[in-house]
Amino acid sequence: MDSSFLLSITTFAYLLCTLLYLSGVVFLYQPLLISGSVVGALTLVVQTAGLLLRWRESYQLGYGHAPLSNLYESLVFAAWAIILIYLILELRTRQRVLGVFPALFAFLAMAYASFSTQVDSKIQPLVPALKSNWLIAHVVTCFLGYAAFAISCGISILYLLRKAQGGNPHPRGILGLLPEARQLDQFNYQMIVFGFLWLSLGIITGSIWANSAWGTYWSWDPKETWSLITWLVYAALLHSRTMQGWRGSRVAWLSVIGFSCVLFTYFGVNFLLSGLHSYATK
Amino acid sequence: MQQKKGFLDLLTQNLSSMRLTVLLFLTLAVCSIMGTLLPQGTSLEELQGHYGPSLSWWIDTVGLNDLYRTGWFRTLLLLLCLNLIICTTQRLPKTLKLLQHRDEQISPEKLEKFNCHTEITTPRPLDAARTQLTEVISEAFAPLQPLQGSDAFCAVAERGRWSRLMVYIIHFSVLVILLGALLGSLFGFKGFMNLSEGEASDEVLLTMGKDPVMLPFQVRCDDFNVSFYDNGAPKEYRSDLTILDKGQEVLKQSIRVNDPLSYQGVTFYQASYGSMLKQVEIEIQDRDAGTAYKLTLPYREVVSIPGTHDEIEVMQYQENFSNFGQAAAIVLLREGEQPSGSWILVDMPEFHGNRIQNYRIKVLNIEKGHYTGLQVKRDPGVWFVYIGFIVMLMGIGMTFYTSHRKLWVWASPSKSGKNTTTVLIAGKTNKNSLAFEQEFNHLCARLQSDLNPK
Ligand code: HEM
Repeated sequence: MDSSFLLSITTFAYLLCTLLYLSGVVFLYQPLLISGSVVGALTLVVQTAGLLLRWRESYQLGYGHAPLSNLYESLVFAAWAIILIYLILELRTRQRVLGVFPALFAFLAMAYASFSTQVDSKIQPLVPALKSNWLIAHVVTCFLGYAAFAISCGISILYLLRKAQGGNPHPRGILGLLPEARQLDQFNYQMIVFGFLWLSLGIITGSIWANSAWGTYWSWDPKETWSLITWLVYAALLHSRTMQGWRGSRVAWLSVIGFSCVLFTYFGVNFLLSGLHSYATK
Repeated sequence: MQQKKGFLDLLTQNLSSMRLTVLLFLTLAVCSIMGTLLPQGTSLEELQGHYGPSLSWWIDTVGLNDLYRTGWFRTLLLLLCLNLIICTTQRLPKTLKLLQHRDEQISPEKLEKFNCHTEITTPRPLDAARTQLTEVISEAFAPLQPLQGSDAFCAVAERGRWSRLMVYIIHFSVLVILLGALLGSLFGFKGFMNLSEGEASDEVLLTMGKDPVMLPFQVRCDDFNVSFYDNGAPKEYRSDLTILDKGQEVLKQSIRVNDPLSYQGVTFYQASYGSMLKQVEIEIQDRDAGTAYKLTLPYREVVSIPGTHDEIEVMQYQENFSNFGQAAAIVLLREGEQPSGSWILVDMPEFHGNRIQNYRIKVLNIEKGHYTGLQVKRDPGVWFVYIGFIVMLMGIGMTFYTSHRKLWVWASPSKSGKNTTTVLIAGKTNKNSLAFEQEFNHLCARLQSDLNPK
């Protein structure tokens, strides 16, 4: 059994998990939601084993590095972090309905990593610039932050759906299972606060690493700048909560915008901006 | 519009508002996005090649090609600092006052107005209830401190009072980081130097134009090495460096990418490398005298030709000279004459042009060495930045994961029954009210059962 086998099981298991959560919400049927949580937790275990196995395989190949070094590995780690953080949130809040989006995001990350032709899933050796313990610290912290923001984005979407129902405290149908708006707002805030802490750590470890590798802690390259933009959006969100009338929907919208910035930092900078740059310097 | 405010009042009012803060955050975000859409650091000439003259003029004038260094971008950062400082000077005194404030009087009417409040009736006399309340709350929440001056039992318990100060610590750290960045740009430099193996130098060429910086000591590159993985990808770049202070070797260290060397506040980073000529072995034939010698010519060192007063030197080398392959430019120095030289083709040893005056020259061997590209930096502000980072992280962690929670207790003999006591409990938190509500309800349930034994 090798890591790629375990990780492909993971991909399909997250699809199953998503479907269970979704059908639980659609049919308003609690046992489906519970089985969603169970499948999610079991998959997390399989995925953890897959990641650890991949780590060991990289040593057997003679490269020897943590599975956090390229787009494929970071996507797999992102899925892992989303489900881990979500399950902890679920354990604490007992709100299983919130699971639809995190499970979906985790599945999409795994599916993109496994099936896209742009993503190379081979274990590759580390180029000299990446050989540093800061690599692990930087990637882990950033992705814990991104994962929390992904969950917050999911909660925000639920919040906005819930608000679209107007003031009705007991909406019928699919939304009937959702927690109250005030609760959703609190969960959302907790996720953002958690994400902000980790994103700050991620940016800081990144800049300390840059300083120890090539002597500048900040050089305004597009990736760096986009992570700062993301950070600024969430800082704006945290501050706007203290202003009258900004709690609730506007915060939810800012969270969705913030998560789009995360996605752009992650994919857009690689695929769009670098293309733009190579075009412009041709 | 009752009265006209002074301009200064209006200014400070705006500069202290959170609205401005949010606006500045979002403006900075949008401006930063613009900077990522265009490659930064391009010159007007390069722009004109892509965008035509008038659009390039606009880009250059607004500074989109070097956005993060423009005056207006820095003004935005300065505004954020001002906003922060003025906001702090207005709020900090109030917060400090709040922290020193002790409740003197509470009344049942006041407590009933709280979102979180409960009333419990117990069949115990006031004294017993008081002991029990103090015990449970002190153990489960925080020490319960009685307030004086009322017939009833009034008390307060609170936790995490200081957590209200943490926000100020985060904000302070932002200023420290920006100050560090400012110090670095005022008193530091950033540049590079290329050293061939064996060469020592003290001259640093700056990345941003201007004159080179002369270091108070010299750096020598003793050796440079690249290694590769089996699949051809680079594995490691390493330079062995020696620091020479007044001619003395004071420090020897190998540097790699991610592993620099620091001396007297100047840091050397492995940034790039290249190959260059080290020495050339030639056979030189004197066609007048009929003699031939083998000579080794180190790059740019004068070597004398045996049996003559002539000297010879390799001045340059090209990988591909006019499509004739490798070539070395060799110069003959003869007393009383202008130096004369020629490009000697290495890959075509029989070429008739491989000669200088009466000498025919054949290159037998070419030995190439490496030069290492070092990035050189001095940044006296970096410690401010790092300290700011640490303080910021601690501040953010503490702001988010601690809160100021307070409980008020009021107990007095019930009006109706004899020897029963009415207890009012109210609670308040400055954040995460949902979690606090849970804790509050938990505590009240416990008090309810403790005060009403079956
Ligand atoms: C880059 C700059 C800044 C950062 C990183 C930052 C960070 C933070 C953080 C993390 C919080 C805690 C939010 C929460 O508990 O939900 C906070 C609160 C606050 N910030 Fe900032 N801030 C910055 C700039 C500013 C500026 C310029 C102002 C000026 C008005 C300001 C005013 C405040 C106030 C008044 C609070 C307290 C809100 C409350 O009472 O809960 N901040 N800030």
